[in-house]
Amino acid sequence: MGQIFVLASGCDIRQLNLSVAEGYLLSRFDGATPWRVLREMAGIPALEADTVLGRWIDAGLLEPIRNADAAEASMQPAGDSLVTESLEVESTSVETRAIDETQIDEELDIDVATQRRILEFEASLDLPYDELLDVPRGSEPKVVKRAYFKLSKEFHPDRYFRRDIGSHAARLDRIFKKVLEAHELLSDPDLCQVENRSTVKSDAEAPVAQLAASESAAKPEVAAPKPLTKLERLRQRMPFKIDQFAFEERRATAQEIFRAAEVSQNAGRMKEAEANIRIAISFDPGRAEFKEALGGLRIQAAGARATKLLATPIERMSDGEIRDTWTLLDEVLIYRPHDPELNERAARICLQLGKIGLAEEYAQTLIEGAPDVAGSHTLMGRIHRELGDMKAAVGSFETALKLDDEDLDARRALAAVRLGAHKEAQGGMA
Amino acid sequence: MSRVIGIDLGTTNSCVAVMENGQPTVIPNSGGYKTTPSMFGISQDGKRLVGHLAKRQAITNARNTVSAAKRLIGRRFDDPEVQKSIDLSPFEIVRGPNGDPRIKAGSKTFTCPEISGIILREMKRVAEEYLSETVHEAVITVPAYFNDSQRQCTKDAGKIAGLEVLRIINEPTAAALAYGMNRPSEEKIAVYDLGGGTFDISILDMSDGVVEVLATSGNTFLGGEDFDRRIVQHLVEWFEESEGMDLRSDTMALQRLKDAAEKAKCDLSIRDTVEINLPFIASDSEGPRHLNYELTREDLESLVHDVVEGTLKSVEQCCVDAGVQPSDIDQVVLVGGQSRMPLVQRRVTEYFGKRPHKGVNPDEVVGLGAAVQAAALLDSGNDMLLLDLTPLSLGIGTYGGHFARLIERNTTVPVSKGHVFTTTRDDQSAVKIRVLQGESDLAAENDLLGEFILSGIRPAPKGEPEIEVSFDIDANGIVSVSARDLATDKEQSITVSSTGTLSDVEIDEIIEEHDLYEVQLRD
Repeated sequence: MGQIFVLASGCDIRQLNLSVAEGYLLSRFDGATPWRVLREMAGIPALEADTVLGRWIDAGLLEPIRNADAAEASMQPAGDSLVTESLEVESTSVETRAIDETQIDEELDIDVATQRRILEFEASLDLPYDELLDVPRGSEPKVVKRAYFKLSKEFHPDRYFRRDIGSHAARLDRIFKKVLEAHELLSDPDLCQVENRSTVKSDAEAPVAQLAASESAAKPEVAAPKPLTKLERLRQRMPFKIDQFAFEERRATAQEIFRAAEVSQNAGRMKEAEANIRIAISFDPGRAEFKEALGGLRIQAAGARATKLLATPIERMSDGEIRDTWTLLDEVLIYRPHDPELNERAARICLQLGKIGLAEEYAQTLIEGAPDVAGSHTLMGRIHRELGDMKAAVGSFETALKLDDEDLDARRALAAVRLGAHKEAQGGMA
Repeated sequence: MSRVIGIDLGTTNSCVAVMENGQPTVIPNSGGYKTTPSMFGISQDGKRLVGHLAKRQAITNARNTVSAAKRLIGRRFDDPEVQKSIDLSPFEIVRGPNGDPRIKAGSKTFTCPEISGIILREMKRVAEEYLSETVHEAVITVPAYFNDSQRQCTKDAGKIAGLEVLRIINEPTAAALAYGMNRPSEEKIAVYDLGGGTFDISILDMSDGVVEVLATSGNTFLGGEDFDRRIVQHLVEWFEESEGMDLRSDTMALQRLKDAAEKAKCDLSIRDTVEINLPFIASDSEGPRHLNYELTREDLESLVHDVVEGTLKSVEQCCVDAGVQPSDIDQVVLVGGQSRMPLVQRRVTEYFGKRPHKGVNPDEVVGLGAAVQAAALLDSGNDMLLLDLTPLSLGIGTYGGHFARLIERNTTVPVSKGHVFTTTRDDQSAVKIRVLQGESDLAAENDLLGEFILSGIRPAPKGEPEIEVSFDIDANGIVSVSARDLATDKEQSITVSSTGTLSDVEIDEIIEEHDLYEVQLRD
C-alpha cells in the first residue's frame, strides 16, 4: 500500500488511450505520493484503481521507487546500511504476495480483478492484525472499526450471496473471519497487548518496496518474527467467561480449605470444621466428596442427640422427638441421599407424620438401593395401604413374604388387607 | 428474476414491502391498509379467513379466531409463557404430539408454524397482487430474542406459505437498515422496538452502508398486548366491584373489552381522557348491564408503569453488552405501534437524554428494512451490508456441570472460535462433546443442540491430552463443531441442524392441504 511510483521515462501519457479518470490518476504519479493516497484520488473505486495500477505496471508504464515508511527510515544516520540491507528483504506488503493464478476462473460470477484481490488478500492473512487491517499500530478503536467496515464491505460472504464464485466462497469465509478476529483484538486494549507482545517487529525489518513478485524468487528468506501457531493463539485467548486458570486456582483453594477442615475435625473442633467445609464447597461446588464430608460431619455434630434419636424405635418416641428426628434427617439426607438406614428411618417417620407421598419416595429409594430386603417391601406395603392402593399393598407384602417367609409383619399386614377387602366386598353385596 | 419481498411478521399486525427504484416501499393490501392483522379464523360456515376478515369476526366468533400465534411459535407447551397465553386466549390451545402447543379452530387443530404460514401466505398474496407477478422468496423478520427453535419454526412457516426464506433477520436490525439507508455519516443508534407482543432493543453502529449490530436484548413476552391486558383487567375488576358481575368467563365480553381497551390506549396517545362505552356487556335477571368508564392518561400510565420500566432494564443490559453509555448514542429510533405512547417516549427520552428520531413510521419500518436486506443480498447494485450477530451464546458442557462459552452471544457471524480442553481422568480414552446454547453458567440449564464423542485419545495422565474444540458459524447461521486430539490429529465433527417442531413430511402435508383451499380469479 505504501509504495511510491514514478512514470517510466519516455512515457507520454497523452499517447495512451485512457479514460478521464485514469488519465487524471496517471498524471498524479510524482515519485513522492504513495499509492495508498493516490488510489483514493481518482474518483474510481479503490479496488478498480488497484486493477488499473496492475495493468500499468505490467505495461511498464510505472516504476517503483520505494516504500514511504522506509523512505523515512533512510533519513536517519544509520539509514544507509539499513536501506541496502532492507532492499534484499522480500516485501511482506499485501500487493506483492505471490498468488496461485490457476485459482482464477473467468467462468465464475465474479470479475477477475476481484478474484485476484481475494487471492492476494488471502495470501496475506498471516500478517500481524494491524497490517492486515492496514491501520497504524495502537490505532483508536474508531479507526480500526472504519478499516474493518471497509474490508467487510469487500469480503463479507453476503456480498456474493447466491452467486457462483466457486472456491472463492470458502476463501471469503476465511478472510472475513480473520478480519473480524483482527478487529476484535485490535479494538480490545487487553487482548491487543497480548497480540503486540507476540508480534513485535523491529523497525529494521520495515519492508521496502520490491513490487514485482517475480523478482522475489531469488531473494533470501527473512527471519521474520515467527507468526503464532494457531494453538498458541488459542492458548493466549480466553474467549469465554469461565477463566480456566482462575477455575483451577479456585479448586486448589477449595482443596486446601478442605484439608484445614480435616485438621480441625481431627482435633475435635467440629464447628470450625463445618464452617471450613462450607467455604470449600462454595469454592468448588462440583466436588461430591466435600458434600459427603459435610453430611458426615453434621451427623457427627448432631452427636448424642442424633444417636439417641436414631436408636429409639419410632413407636416409643414422643411427637416432639419425631419432629426433631425428622428435621435432623431432612438435613442429613441431602448429603447422603442413598443411605439405606436414613431412608428407612425417613420413610417410617413420614408415614407416622402422615406425609405419605414423601414416605413413598423414601421407600422407593430404599428398594432401588437394595431390592431384596423384605422389610423394605413390607414398609412399602404399609405406605400403599395408607394411600388406599390395596392392590399395590398386597403386591408389596407378597414380595416381602417371597423374600422372607418368616416376616411376621408382612404376613399379618397381608392378612389384614385381605380381610378388609373381603369385608368390603361383602358390604358391597349387602 | 422475480422480486424478493420483505415481511414483518408481527404479533398483531404484519407488513410486506418491496424495493422499487432503489427505495423500499410498503405494499398496501386490497383494502388499502399498509398493515394486515396477523389473525386467522374459521367462520361459522367453515370458511378460512385471514387478516381484516378474521379480525372482523373476532367478537362474534372469538373461540375460532386466532391471534398472536407468534407468542407461541417455537415454544414447548410446558413453557410458562405458553401457559400464560392459555389462560388469556379466547381460543383453545392444546398439547401437540411433539410437546408443542397447537391451536384449535373450527374442527381442526393447527400447529403454530401453520397459522403463521397462513398469514405469510396472505402477505405473499398481497405482494403478488400489487406486483402482478408471482413471488417465491422473502426475507422475514423476527424479534432479536427469538431462539433457534423459534427462528426455525418461522422458516417452516415461510415454507408452508410457499416462500423460500433467504434470511431471518432481527426486527430492530431491519429497522436500522431502513433508517440507515442513504445516511452516509457514522452513527451509533439505538432501536427501541415495542411491538404488539415483543420488546427488543438493539444498539447498532453504522457507517457508509455498513450496519453492525453491537448488542441486542429484549423480552419475547412483553408488548402492547400487555398494555391492553392491564386495561381489560382493570375494567373487569371495576365492573365486578360496581356491578357485582364477573366478566372473566364471558369470552364475547372479554373480546369486546379487549377491542375497546386497544382503542382507548391508542386514543390516549393523543388525548388526555377517553370514554369507554360498552352497552349490553352482560345481563342477569335484573336486565342488561352497560359498562361506562372514563379512563385518563394518568390512569393508564399508572397501570402500565412497571411494564415500561421493565423495558428500560433490558435497555440498560443492552448498553452494557454493547460497551456504550446511553449518552454515546447518536440517534434513538422508536419502532412498533406501542412506542407511540407518550409515557414510553418520555421515559426513553429521559434515559438517553435525547429526543427519539421522528422520521420513520414505527409500523412500517421493520417491513421496509426486510426489503432492504433482501436487496442487499441479491442486488449487486445495493451497497448496504448487514453484519449480523448470533443471538445466544454457544459452548460446550464441561466437568462439574459448567457451561464453557466458546462463542459469546452478540458475536458477529460468520465466525470461528476454538479453545483447548483436556481430560478429567487418568487414561481417559474418550471425551463427549455436548454442544449447548444459552446464557446460564450451568450446562443443564442451556439447550442441548447436539453431542458427539471423540474417542481414541492416547492414554495419559489427566490434564495432559490436548483437545481442540472449534465452533464455526457461517453467514447463514449454520453451526458446525469439531473436536481434534492434537496428539493424534484424530477429529470428529457435527453440523448442528436446528430443528423446528415440525418434520419435513409434516410441512409437505400441510402445504398440500392448504393448496386445496387456494382460490384464484378466473380469467
